[in-house]
Amino acid sequence: MQRVIILISTTLILLGTACGGADRFEIDGLAAEIHSGECAEKSDEVVTIYSGRKENLIDPVLRAFECATGINVEVRWGKSAELAMLINEEGDQSPADVFLSQSPGPVSFLEAKGFLATLPQTTLNQVTPQNRSDAETWVGFSGRKRVLVYNIDELGPSDLPSSVFELTDQKWRGQVAIPATNGSFMDWFTVFRNYHGDDVATEWLKGMVDNDARYYPNNRSIVEAASRGEIKVGLVNHYYNYQEGAAGGSKHRAQNHDFDDNDIGSLLIITAATILNSTENVSNAQALVDYLLSSSVQQYFTDQTLEYPLAANIAPNQVLPPLAALQIGSVDFDSLGSGLDKTSRIIESSGIQNQ
Amino acid sequence: MRKHNANRGLRVFGLVTAIAFAFPGLYLVWRNFTSGADPLGLLFSNQTLQPLWRTIYLAGLVSVSAACLGTALAWLTARTDLPFRKLWSVLLPVPLVFPTFIGAAAFIRALSPGGLASEWLTAFGVHHTPQLRGLFGAWLVLTFFCYPYVYLPVNARLKQLPGSYEQTALLLGDTQPQVFLRVVLRQIGSSITAGTLLVFLYTISDFGAVQLMRFDTLTRAIEMNYLARPPISFAMSLILLALAAVVVVSERAASRHLPDIRTHRPQHALKYELGSWKVPSLLLVIATFAISIVAPVAAMADWALGGTLRSDGRPLTVSVSKIVEATINTLTSSIATGVVALLLITPIAFLANRHKDRIGRFTHSVVISTFAIPGILIALSLRFWTIRSGFIGSFFYDSMALLIFAYVVRFAALAMGAASVAVNAVPTALHDAAATLGADRRRRFRTVDVPVMKPGLLAATGLVVLSTMKELPISLLLAPIGFPTLTTRIFSSFEEAFVAEAGIMALVLVTASAFLSWSLVLRRSDAL
Repeated sequence: MQRVIILISTTLILLGTACGGADRFEIDGLAAEIHSGECAEKSDEVVTIYSGRKENLIDPVLRAFECATGINVEVRWGKSAELAMLINEEGDQSPADVFLSQSPGPVSFLEAKGFLATLPQTTLNQVTPQNRSDAETWVGFSGRKRVLVYNIDELGPSDLPSSVFELTDQKWRGQVAIPATNGSFMDWFTVFRNYHGDDVATEWLKGMVDNDARYYPNNRSIVEAASRGEIKVGLVNHYYNYQEGAAGGSKHRAQNHDFDDNDIGSLLIITAATILNSTENVSNAQALVDYLLSSSVQQYFTDQTLEYPLAANIAPNQVLPPLAALQIGSVDFDSLGSGLDKTSRIIESSGIQNQ
Repeated sequence: MRKHNANRGLRVFGLVTAIAFAFPGLYLVWRNFTSGADPLGLLFSNQTLQPLWRTIYLAGLVSVSAACLGTALAWLTARTDLPFRKLWSVLLPVPLVFPTFIGAAAFIRALSPGGLASEWLTAFGVHHTPQLRGLFGAWLVLTFFCYPYVYLPVNARLKQLPGSYEQTALLLGDTQPQVFLRVVLRQIGSSITAGTLLVFLYTISDFGAVQLMRFDTLTRAIEMNYLARPPISFAMSLILLALAAVVVVSERAASRHLPDIRTHRPQHALKYELGSWKVPSLLLVIATFAISIVAPVAAMADWALGGTLRSDGRPLTVSVSKIVEATINTLTSSIATGVVALLLITPIAFLANRHKDRIGRFTHSVVISTFAIPGILIALSLRFWTIRSGFIGSFFYDSMALLIFAYVVRFAALAMGAASVAVNAVPTALHDAAATLGADRRRRFRTVDVPVMKPGLLAATGLVVLSTMKELPISLLLAPIGFPTLTTRIFSSFEEAFVAEAGIMALVLVTASAFLSWSLVLRRSDAL
């Protein structure tokens, strides 16, 4: 009996301390580097995020946001395209306040369906006009550059092309990998079509197929195959090689190569934040999107996830190649929503998926 | 054989289950209408016919090889004096738990040119390993991931077959191979076909393996077009479901001719001595173990170690507490799914097989066909229906109940085949005798049905539990917010090339599944 009483009283004391200590968030590690200083008091406010950005990358940012504002963050993690489809099914009953997408395609899809709210000018103005929607519904908050990954045992920097158009040359026959059905490649190809015209883009892809380019399902598998020497070069986002390199050390045998600054192969693919039309939780959603564009978070993105910052005048991390005019300046992503349909048709009829 | 009429309650239960399992199919039909898709027109276009043919061709090849491999392994572990039988029985179901997106990648990392095995083989003077891609790669990976669909139910069946038929055949002068072909194979035929059907349906619904092996099947076009051309995705998914229904109905028609062998009481099945076949048999089991488990696990361990010992000193992005949380979530949700699936499927198996009831057979077919629908569409369809069903929907909206229900819809087919075989194994004569002696329905169920069905039902539950542990799209889209599983965390890490984190958690997943395989399926069924 005595034991039971002790057990109950200990439990009550523990519960009491747990409740007593629960009025402030606690953060450590990377989150504490983003938000230094004391956390705000916990509030009853909640912001619900559907995130196509993955937990490993963005969780410290969300923890820092909780600490800085006292607003609780709830997240459904997933693939950007699938989350966009989920929002499409949920319609105005979606619990999501904010949607974070890995690439512009899924937000453009939702924009075309009328699911996105208009963002305030103060938020939009934090990035350049090319990195936000003309319809003012979404804003880019970090960027990944298209590059050519290559096997360093087979090739040196001087062997590599300065433009994607050189890859249709006989010299590269059977050696180039393309993630033709991957979301960020399809987004890139849509901008390519918009920039050079459908004829040029279609002709280029056909040239790649004729030159025996190899199809891979995604960026990660191309970087891995390049490191093993299964293929010599591949069209990917710059980000993956840094991660594989960090994990593999000297066993990792691949490097990124940048095309010329004004080549379409050097496009910056942005990750996008948006607020849903259906939410009644506008101010908290707003606070979160603004926080993503704040200087400490932009600094985190470039230092820790090695992406390009898009706001708050933060300079890219030194290990990243500098961005020149085309990448931020002159290519517009607004063609994406209406353009994905045709992109999909062109890619499928090129036959690249059977290579 | 006497037909026992089912009571009305059981038939209503069957009908409700059929409706519940039809939600994803009905959603697909509805979306085909509303998105202006043209499944019939698409079916006969070149854009569909070629990938459709490749899908069927691959599924056929994988079915044949997985059926042969699964049956051989089941025979060796259940009925022979193979060395280390117990150990193999625990390990052989493990490939079920590899999520294909990382399992296939691990295969490539381990076995492709320039991968782990080639470094090792070079030391032995072997310089050319075949490239894992296309039809060959997809066939290899899927065969080694899918053989447990056949292995588990056949193994359970073999352990409880009455030895009398085999003894008679041996006494009459048949050699052991003849006994296997004429007697044993006929008795396990229904288990093999049920398992093979699952292999076929799984193969046509798989995204991960065919994508990484770059073999262009229908699912590639479905996934590529979710946002770009939704009508194409919906139409092709409906074609996939129609293909599944055709195959399920044909299997039912074909397996009707297979005899149901009844088991008078659980007994020790006849054991065979391998003799001079011992070494080749052991080699087959070791080779299967090496390719299907050691190779992917080695790649995962390589990722895990490489990242943990990495030079730049960057801390890992997962912590012990996060892994423990995900492991507990994975275990509780998959075990709950296994139990619910068993409770749901056993009555249907009774209805369809004991009572030969039409509703039961219909429900049986609906449950199994649903296995060919990709998980993402099951998740979307259930979200679609909960949103549109008023207060019931809002009750289930963000609940564990919805998640478990979705898992059950996705995987109950795995239990259906094994449960049917288990029900058919119960001798009706014994049932009638018990009834004559005054045992009521409940007592007959406990003392006659359960002991005979137990190994089959445990195998059925094991299949569901191990498969649920690796489920990805349903876990991502339907789990209550803040309910990470090992698979969702592995996916998050692996997609962004945090391979160390992914490797560590994949090893935890494999360990957890080996533990479950040992405790849930084998320990209990052996103790029978």
